[in-house]
Amino acid sequence: MANVLWMHGGACNGNTQSFLNAEEPTVIDLVTDFGINILYHHSLSMEFGEQVRHVFERILDGEVPLDIFVVEGTVIQGPNGTGRYDMLLDRPKKDWIWEFAHKAQYVVAVGDCACWGGVPATSPNPSESIGLQYQKGSHGGFLGADFRSKAGLPVINIPGCPSHPDWVTQILVAIATGRAEDVLLDELQRPQTFFKTFTQTGCTRVQYFEWKEPVEEFGQGTRKGCLFYEQGCRGPMTHSPCNRILWNRQSSKTRAGMPCIGCTEPQFPFFDLAPGTVFKTQKIFGSIPKEVPKDSDPLSYSVTAALARAAAPKWAREDMFVP
Amino acid sequence: MSKQGVEVSKKMELKVHSLGRVEGDLDVRVAVEDGVVVDAWTEATMFRGFEIILKGKDPQAGLIVTPRICGICGGSHLTKAVYALDTAWHTEVPPNATLIRNVAQAAETIQSIPRWFYALFAIGLTHQNYASSDLYDEVVRRWAPFEGEHYAIGVTVSSKPVEIYAIFGGQWPHSSFMVPGGVVSAPTLSDITRSISILEHYRETWLEKILLGCSVERWLENKTWSDVLNWLDERAAHRNSDLGLFIRYSMDIGLDKYGSGPGRYLAAGSFPHPQKYRFPTIDGRNAALISRSGVYDGKTFHDFDQERIREDHTHSFFRGSGSLHPFVGVTDPIDPVEGQKEGKYTFAKAPRYEVPGMGAVSLEAGPLARQVIAGRPGAEEWQDYDPLFLNIIQEIGPSVMVRVLARLHEAAKYYLRMRDWLKQINLNEKFYIKPRELPEGRGFGATEAARGALMDWLQIKDGKIDNYQVITPTAWNIGPRDGQGQRGPIETAMIGVPVRNPEDPVELAHIAQSYDSCLVCTVHAYDAKSHRELAKYEVVKM
Ligand code: SF4
Ligand code: SF4
Repeated sequence: MANVLWMHGGACNGNTQSFLNAEEPTVIDLVTDFGINILYHHSLSMEFGEQVRHVFERILDGEVPLDIFVVEGTVIQGPNGTGRYDMLLDRPKKDWIWEFAHKAQYVVAVGDCACWGGVPATSPNPSESIGLQYQKGSHGGFLGADFRSKAGLPVINIPGCPSHPDWVTQILVAIATGRAEDVLLDELQRPQTFFKTFTQTGCTRVQYFEWKEPVEEFGQGTRKGCLFYEQGCRGPMTHSPCNRILWNRQSSKTRAGMPCIGCTEPQFPFFDLAPGTVFKTQKIFGSIPKEVPKDSDPLSYSVTAALARAAAPKWAREDMFVP
Repeated sequence: MSKQGVEVSKKMELKVHSLGRVEGDLDVRVAVEDGVVVDAWTEATMFRGFEIILKGKDPQAGLIVTPRICGICGGSHLTKAVYALDTAWHTEVPPNATLIRNVAQAAETIQSIPRWFYALFAIGLTHQNYASSDLYDEVVRRWAPFEGEHYAIGVTVSSKPVEIYAIFGGQWPHSSFMVPGGVVSAPTLSDITRSISILEHYRETWLEKILLGCSVERWLENKTWSDVLNWLDERAAHRNSDLGLFIRYSMDIGLDKYGSGPGRYLAAGSFPHPQKYRFPTIDGRNAALISRSGVYDGKTFHDFDQERIREDHTHSFFRGSGSLHPFVGVTDPIDPVEGQKEGKYTFAKAPRYEVPGMGAVSLEAGPLARQVIAGRPGAEEWQDYDPLFLNIIQEIGPSVMVRVLARLHEAAKYYLRMRDWLKQINLNEKFYIKPRELPEGRGFGATEAARGALMDWLQIKDGKIDNYQVITPTAWNIGPRDGQGQRGPIETAMIGVPVRNPEDPVELAHIAQSYDSCLVCTVHAYDAKSHRELAKYEVVKM
């Protein structure tokens, strides 16, 4: 049995919507089979406001133990640090979040916004949004770098815009069934079981990547080529299991022909969406990709790339996924 | 209450916190007199400033940013954002791409219907206030949260239509797979087959079996309110379907009696015809839509014209007052504490529409609005003409019940459309035509999100976004008073509502939820007698 309180801050509800797409287990299974007891969730609970205040107060008074505090969305601090851009029950939501985080055994940040600030924190960050324990890539965030929940862990970050329902349900079940110790975190506090691999791992275009054959323009997307060279795919640099654990049980961005925009990484949206950076690979001298697979460098990468391209078999220039 | 003294008992003000919401939080204040709401103020309490973020960014940034305004309607945001760029860059959109955009947009909507109905709306119908209804036990058996038999089916099936979205777009929510000039994907035969079979699963498991109790075609034969009543009597399967039960229960507990709203409607229209909107322009849009745009002022239909829209922010937490067309719109927030001193009370602006002969008025957006507009005579043979809801509002007037019915009705309509579009996709034709990225331009894109009209205005200058303004269905519906003092649609809909129990005004919740203006879920009220410092249960000077 684990008591869960799910709260949304500066959010679009996308993580809740994604969560509702879960199938193994479904959200209903979590409640009926896995001992997850939802104390309150803004979209799913029957409770009315005053009853919600009551739930909140019972948690804060220590009457009801709070096992897992889930936050979706940023912590909104504006204007000027007052938090008045986001009120809940006539109180800045940031104050509620602070108190619950310090009451909970585990704190889980679901989605980019809660992890790193996400889209709302994109410059000029008009709402003064911040992630729970990071502001973009820098450690600290709203709760501070030293924050530890009651169980002694930092915030568990499950990023993604949105995060995939299976990433969330599996972590919730792990904690609820006493396996929290098995959840190994990486240097950005993300569960390694999901975020050690890259988006590229399992991408159906990897052969084209190896032979350096590009998708020349959109719309060929599903048929052939790799989106790295022109369309700015961040698959080789992004930690995510998107091509291992498929989306909606069917596909992934890169499978459908959309470049990975790196939504599980703290810098998302990359380059702050500056002109010329959306769906375009950033290059040096007009041809060498500025960013290359992790732990590689642009120059040696380019040398191998030229060789690969020259050696590419004929099929690497053809459609592989024919209608 | 009258025992406490005449004055206090007659007039009171309730502050109603709506906790369960999505895109911006909503509180409602209502003035109640003799148990009936006589005035209302809607207060959106969250600000994120997406329009400010978009300034100075890449022209295509809207494709990534605007879907994140709302994860419930993200696909709809993408749809109108891409059309705004299409019009600004003068693209050509191949018919295949329009078909896929339409399929995706409709998939998001038919996903939203069961998810909204069961998870967000119907659980409120299990409120014990209604325990005396003969139908109550059945309602609880079916629709109780988590445990209800149809709750589980409905919530589970809602994840299916978006699998179709994922097949074409990679994932739902939050893909940006629609790009100026088309879509990024180029599906294969198996993608089409699989999509059709997912649709069939949706129809079999829920749409016909649970919701309608009859075939989609049989339900769509209903053209008038009396047809619906006859349909109800025709077979036990109809009466006992979720739709049948909803109608009977609504009439029993009075959901057909209140929440009518302004009685004026707006549809931005959706689903361009693949051949007729190959070269998207702002002016050519209306004529190319399968689900038509339009405005109905209670008596007369008008063509929709984006030029007639203004956003008033006299009572909104933005600097100054006034009413601007979105192309020149400004989003400049202020501290609510400062704003309150000037009589401002919400982060929503108040969109208004200049109706010929009426001046700038508020309009209701949403499924009911769309279905009323669908009843406008004069549709082309390829356009949607559906007189049912125009007839219903003329026969029995709009209400919470009618608004919900309109939403459920669309599941049947869109299911058929999607089948049709999927069949038309030609796998050997283009899905994308690379556009020229013009450094200057002005774009307008619109669509119908599940919960109503959604529109973008985009100005590009020197290769970057100079101004970006979005008007959401939420803004249309929960917008506050304007400079003329006219209330917004939900404020209007609250008036005349009987509040049986001021400590638990579930009626107000039903109204807010029937609009589903991304304020899904629970609404709360409290009063001074029982609830400490936040209370506002007091005599209001009126
Ligand atoms: S499309 Fe992206 S994820 Fe796939 S192989 Fe190319 S770079 Fe990697
Ligand atoms: S493919 Fe990339 S952008 Fe898409 S969800 Fe995965 S990590 Fe995010």
